[in-house]
Amino acid sequence: MPASKNEKGAKAPFSSSLETRPFRSFKKKSRRFFFLLALFIPTFSVIGFLTIYPTVRGFILSFQNYTVFNIRRIRFIGLQNYEKVINSGDFGLILWNTFLWIFFSVLFQMLLGLGLALLMRKPFKGRGIYTGFVFYPWALSGFAIGLIWRWLFDGSFGIINDILIRLGFIETGIGFFSDPTLAMLAVIIVNIWYGIPFFAIMILAALQGIPKDVYESAWMDGANPINSFFKVTLPYIRPVLVNTILLRVIWVMNFPDIIYAMTRGGPAKATEILSVYMINIVFYENNNFSKASAVGVIIISLLMVFTTFYYLISNTKKMEM
Amino acid sequence: MSVRVKKAISKTLKGLALGLYLAFALAPILWIFITSIKPPEDIYTFPIKYWTQKPSFEAYRYLFGFANFSRYFRNSLFVTFFASIVSTFFALFSGYALSRFPFKGKGILMIFLFFTQMIPAYLLMIPQFQMFSSLKLTNNLFGIIIIYIGLGATFSTIMAKGFFDRIPVSMEEAALIDGCNRVGVLFRITVPLLLPGLAAIFSFSFVNNWNELFTAALFLDSDSKMTVPVALYSFISKAGIQWNVLGAGIIVALVPTMIVFFFAQKYIVAGLTQGAVKE
Repeated sequence: MPASKNEKGAKAPFSSSLETRPFRSFKKKSRRFFFLLALFIPTFSVIGFLTIYPTVRGFILSFQNYTVFNIRRIRFIGLQNYEKVINSGDFGLILWNTFLWIFFSVLFQMLLGLGLALLMRKPFKGRGIYTGFVFYPWALSGFAIGLIWRWLFDGSFGIINDILIRLGFIETGIGFFSDPTLAMLAVIIVNIWYGIPFFAIMILAALQGIPKDVYESAWMDGANPINSFFKVTLPYIRPVLVNTILLRVIWVMNFPDIIYAMTRGGPAKATEILSVYMINIVFYENNNFSKASAVGVIIISLLMVFTTFYYLISNTKKMEM
Repeated sequence: MSVRVKKAISKTLKGLALGLYLAFALAPILWIFITSIKPPEDIYTFPIKYWTQKPSFEAYRYLFGFANFSRYFRNSLFVTFFASIVSTFFALFSGYALSRFPFKGKGILMIFLFFTQMIPAYLLMIPQFQMFSSLKLTNNLFGIIIIYIGLGATFSTIMAKGFFDRIPVSMEEAALIDGCNRVGVLFRITVPLLLPGLAAIFSFSFVNNWNELFTAALFLDSDSKMTVPVALYSFISKAGIQWNVLGAGIIVALVPTMIVFFFAQKYIVAGLTQGAVKE
């Protein structure tokens, strides 16, 4: 779990000095209490007012009939919103799309991020500048990235079609966004492009924490590079991989920006994932806020279930090792 | 094969792979930039023209003149800057408290923070919209600033605690014994040491706030209030969009966070990875 891990990792070096007298003993206990309170009030009032309260309210909303056209007569309608969502006929497809989107995005983000991190591991001339130029997509707007690639994948004037024709793979331009499979492939490729830096940053940091002598002793034992990757490198970066994958799955599930810019869930819902579905309801389906909230609750529930299982599975593996 | 040849080959392959990846990372941005400086007749051709004989900044002129983009840019800058400054200060206080003071229930509080951090903005926007409508704060840039302060509060706090944890308390203790008060210690001793951390926290908030689309799109509906992402969003819903103009808009939307990233890269990477690396 990132919580306990981070705390441990951060606390270790100064834990002895952290608990020393001046910070423990104020002259009066009440003064210490009020000082702490003053430090906490800004952040926690903001979190309470803008995160916790809206979360609770969104949960309640999902059992009501609130739309923009029905502001006055709000009442509880039980599970009707959930029934509408689940029985809509597309819900299975949307879940499947969400799975494909998360699975292939995160898998290739990780593999390519790992590859990049391994390549960048040893110092080379201009590594600092290189880092800046390959990690910068991290800072870019997902929506703007989606728009750029929408232009690159354009069926009539897109550069990707142009390159494929010049290389002789195809004869005429492909309409990437009119074919369900190709549309999904396109949005996933863009998400992979966007997510490689995050994995590379995390893995690179972990790689630099591996002590050199571990490799030396592996060499002594006659390990070749492939061997030492699986026997030394992978076990060392495993905790970082496990945590980063979890963070990414949560983040990618909640990342409608690219799809929204490229296809808005089309063609015929072929790229509609849960988060895009929810936003489409908010902006297009009569602003049915209650139904959208039900989708939001479903998203959070799925993530909670996933997180629990993920930790159970990754922890049992750790014990086997 | 001798060891030297083997080494040379592996070095070349490595360089090739690094070069390929660099091209892959840069090409999309480069291509949208080239599109933005093409005259329209060079954009809609097939096979594609990879360069143009007459590069022009006409699209940028149109964007800032006719399309009112300077307004959106100012709005975005205003909202992003204020929200990021405020959340950095808030995180400074709460991170300090979490790092320096032992108290009951701190572990639970940290777990609570880690879970709230995972709730994304777009899941909160509906109830927030309801709340802010009754406060008459929708379609208002200050409303968006408040929302964005909330958006970054949790993650900034966690990051600030991490940075504080790395600064030894001995100097603060010495200053306290010398008779400096606690607020003085925080600002005179700790904050100067924490500047890289504060830069990271500010940059994170800046990037997130600058890029946020959906809440802003729901909240802001008059043209004069739009932020840059909302303006791009409204561009594509209009029919007959010119790709050189949209391309110029995209470039303008990307440049600020790119600048922030290039200047604060070192601190951002430190902030991202502080949980990942054991010391």
